[in-house]
Order: sequence, then structure tokens, then C-alpha cells
Amino acid sequence: MEAILPTETASQNLIEATGLKKVYKRGDEDVTALHKVDLSVAKGEFSVIIGPSGSGKSTLLHLLGGIDRPTRGQLRVNGVDLVSASDAALTRFRRDNIGFVFQFYNLLPSLNALDNVILPLLARGMGWKASRERGRAILEQVGLVQRQKHTPGQLSGGEQQRVAIARAMVLEPAVILADEPTGDLDSASAGSIVALMADLNQRLGVTFIVATHNLNLLKVAGRSYELVDGRLKQSDQPTPA
Amino acid sequence: MGALVYFTLRDLIHDRWRSLLTILSLAVVICGYLLLSSLSQAFTGAGRLAQGNNNLVILSAGVIDPMDSLLDDQVLPAARASSPDQILRAYPTLFRHMTIAGRLMQVRSVPLEEMPSSLGLILVQGSWPTGGQQIVVSEEIARAASWNTGSKVTIYGRDFEVTGLVRTSASNTGAIWMTYEQGQQLFGTRHGFQAGYLVLAPSADPKKVLASLQSDPRFSGSYSFYLENTISDSYHQLNHNLVTLSGIMAAVSLLAISFGIYNSTSLSLTERSHEISLLRVMGFTQGRLRTFLVVRTLLLTLSAYWLGWVVLAVCFTFLKSNAPLGSSEAPLRLTLTASASVLGLGLAAVFSFLGVWLVSGRIATRNLLDGSE
Repeated sequence: MEAILPTETASQNLIEATGLKKVYKRGDEDVTALHKVDLSVAKGEFSVIIGPSGSGKSTLLHLLGGIDRPTRGQLRVNGVDLVSASDAALTRFRRDNIGFVFQFYNLLPSLNALDNVILPLLARGMGWKASRERGRAILEQVGLVQRQKHTPGQLSGGEQQRVAIARAMVLEPAVILADEPTGDLDSASAGSIVALMADLNQRLGVTFIVATHNLNLLKVAGRSYELVDGRLKQSDQPTPA
Repeated sequence: MGALVYFTLRDLIHDRWRSLLTILSLAVVICGYLLLSSLSQAFTGAGRLAQGNNNLVILSAGVIDPMDSLLDDQVLPAARASSPDQILRAYPTLFRHMTIAGRLMQVRSVPLEEMPSSLGLILVQGSWPTGGQQIVVSEEIARAASWNTGSKVTIYGRDFEVTGLVRTSASNTGAIWMTYEQGQQLFGTRHGFQAGYLVLAPSADPKKVLASLQSDPRFSGSYSFYLENTISDSYHQLNHNLVTLSGIMAAVSLLAISFGIYNSTSLSLTERSHEISLLRVMGFTQGRLRTFLVVRTLLLTLSAYWLGWVVLAVCFTFLKSNAPLGSSEAPLRLTLTASASVLGLGLAAVFSFLGVWLVSGRIATRNLLDGSE
């Protein structure tokens, strides 16, 4: 049986996308959201993708996270070919490799902060006691362990986003994909979330890909991209806020 | 599993009003099942008592209710003489329906020696009457009227003493039993009685004896003859039908659980489409979410079953003290057997599972993009 060896690029880059194209059907009309996107992200990088609304930022994150499939192109994330993977394999891939952070936090309102954080551990089948210990440790990392019993309705927007980041980190994913993580926050809270993500990246080596309008994030970005009308280009000179 | 139950409980408590309404609606169905099962048991119990024997009964021609019958003293010797080898004995019976101690009761007067033999009465407490103003009463009557051995009972203005309690194994109805002589004195009937019983020899063929009597010109037109078993058999058949019907109704009523669970789960999945998609995005497999829904549904069903039990107990208590079923002669005793209860719990769980399983297939059709917004 032939051994499957990692390719050179797979061993160097966490994400390797080549010629990614995504076309949506809107009635009888084809809408191209992404045009031949090429992207390489190394482990531990903090990448920021900026672009106007409707430019395709969220679509790109959906493809990288295995939520959606490209219409054309090649995509490997952490060694997994997301183009040919089955639905079940994509579910496992998301669980084991990706942490998601959303603009509107997407916490379950019936659960407190700790329970929200340990949900991904439940998806993996981790034991009750171990998962709660792990959840508390992660909440400690984001500075919210003292608010672990509070439900989302009892937390501020910034605190909810911290819980969402803790939830995304709890399984130590290969990469965290954040879609407008500061889009629903006031400037102070947004600055705090940016600082938190930068700290987690530098201190723990967490890989981030952030899609945003917030130019402050460019200050902490190791690499930045601009996405306009579905076309991605790397910004050699990040624009400070 | 502990984590699964914990998260399920958190979810049910968060959605407490809908959870409560679901439990209440399931409890109504389950209570209906338990009541129907109890009724079925009651009919089964009543049917068990309705085992007759091979005696023949004589009534006036065309009469069904013995109260409307009036026979003369000559008919019994004549009937016995027609087949002396096959008819061992013939005895008269007086029937009266009377209000005693505020309850409608049946009073029967038969020769004392026939009480245990041909009528199959079993003395369960006290002693048989030895003469004078003495009676025995069936257990059902005694229970309904709170009588016991030694109790004084006034019938037609005369005081009688209850000397014993009997179990009516050969009849489905409870009654007050007194000797034929006491009955004649009490009701002032020197001649005539309502029904005659012909006790057949064990070797006799009841149908042949019946055919012989029915074809005898001395009796035709004036008297009707019946196999006592025919009456009890028809009662038994009716009872069997009721048992079958109530059993089917009980099982079918539980089928409503499937529809209820399907409906409520379907509504939850629609309303919480975003949450389901979010969990799928996080990596929850369809199987894991389905397990969550099944555990959630089983917890609701178990709660509803417990509540159904409580309501049933309240119903039993109310019926027993305020509106007993049946009559004091033929009471219907509601009881719920362990097997019916376990069967109900099992069926409720199976129907719940069926309802949630059918609808949970929709998890796979969730659009994951809903969960990432």
C-alpha cells in the first residue's frame, strides 16, 4: 500500500488554497463571490483580511472552515483536503481543527459562560469533570473565570466575545477563524478584544485569520490581505488605523 | 452521559413553559392510557366472576328480568319429573330489588342448602344462617354498605343480622342472601316465586335436557327454560369485547405521543434552526445531536408518565370516595397492574422515540451557513 506523505507545502503551511472560486446561485443568476483566490497561511500567523461588505470575506472564511465547499480550486487545511472530504469528514475536521468567532458571538442563551465554552468538548465526547477543568482554564486565559456562572444575557458584548474566543480555543484548534469579531462592539471593547487575540497569538502561538472592517487589527497583523470583489491581494504595507 | 443529561436539563429549564406544556399534554395522554388500562382490568375482573354452571333456569314465558317472572308451585315437580335421572334437584328463588341503607340492592331467597352447592357461594367470613332473622351478604355489598358480621340490617321494617360474608363465584352480581322461608315471610308470598333452578346430574347433557323441556307441551307457551351458562356466557362475551376494546383504545391513545413529540420537536428545530446550525458548525455530528434530542424527549416522557401516575391516583381516590363505578351489586374495581404500568411506560418510550427519530432527520438538512451568521 502506498504511503501518503505530506507535501512540502503541507508541512510548511497550515492553509494552502489555490485558485479558489465560489459561485452562488441567486435565482437564475450566477453570482461569483470569490475569483481564483490563492492563500497560504503558516502555523502561528496572525492574518487579517480587510475589505468592504459583500467583498467575499465571510465566504472565504466559510471555505477555510469547512462550512461551505468551493466551486473550483484546491484547498487543504492542516493536511485535510476540504474539496474531496465527505460531509461527515468535514464535521470531524471542523471539530478537531477550527475555532470560530462570530460578529454576534453566537453563544447559547440557555447556558452560562463555562457551559458555552465546554460545548466543543462535549462534541468530542470528553468527560464531564475534565471538560469543566479545561473550560475554567481557558476562561482564565481570557480573564473571565470569575464570570463563569453568568449567562450571555448577564454579560457585556465584550465579555460575550471573550467567552466566544474561549470557546473557539478550548479544543486547541489549528486555526481560529474570526468573522468581524469587533463589529458589534464599542471602541473600548473592540480594542480589548484585539489586544486579547494578539496576546493569545504571541503568548500561545494560536493561529488567527480575522476578516474585519476594523483597521486597528492591521496593527497586530503579521500578514494582511485585501479582498475586493472576490479578488484577494496581499497588502505589503498594512495601513495603520 | 452525565454531561448530556446536564445540558438537556439546562435546555428544558431554559425553555420551561414549553417544556411544562409538553409534559402536561403528554401526561393527559398517559393518564388516559392508565385509566383505560385500569378499566380493562376492572372488566377482566368482573368477567372472571361471571362463570356460570350447568344449571337450567325457569322463568315465565317471554320474561328476561326475573323480577317480572311469576311461577306457580307445580312447575318445579313437573319439570323434575320429566327427566328424573338427569335433574337431581329443583328449587325456587325469590328476587327483589330494594333500597336498603340508601342503596339499591338485590335480595335473593333460596333454600339454605343450595347456597354453597348449586349457587357456589363461598363463605369467606362468619357463618351461614341457622334460622331466624339472619342473612349473609356478598363482599361487594358489605364493602359498599360498610357492613360486617354482626351488623344489623333493616329490610322491609324487619331487623336482620349479618351472620357471614360470601364470595359470589357463580354469579357476577352481589346480593343479600336469605333462606327461602325467610323470604316468603318477609315478602308475604305463600305461593309462587320468580325463578326456578334445576340442578343437573354431572353426567347429564344440559342441551338435551333443555331441548326436552322446551318441547314438552305442558310447559311450552307458559314457561321459558335457559341454560344458566348461556346468560353468563353472553355476559362474559360482552365483557371480553369491552376488555379488548379498552385495551386497543389504551394502546392507540399512546400513539398520540408520537405525533405530539414529532410536532413539538419539529417546532423546536424550526425555531432554533440557528442554534442547531451553530452546533453543527462546532462539530456536533448528526448522531450526537439526535442523541441529545432523544434524551431530551425521554426526560419529558418520563416526567409526563410520573405526572400521569399522580393524576391517576387522584382520580382513583376521587372515584372511590365520591363516584364508585358499577353498582353495589356489581362494582367495577379500578386497579392498575404492574405489567400494564410497565407496558405503558415501555410503549410511551417507544412512541416518543419514534416521534423524535422521525423528525430528527431534519438536522442533516440544516444549512450550516445559518450558524455562522
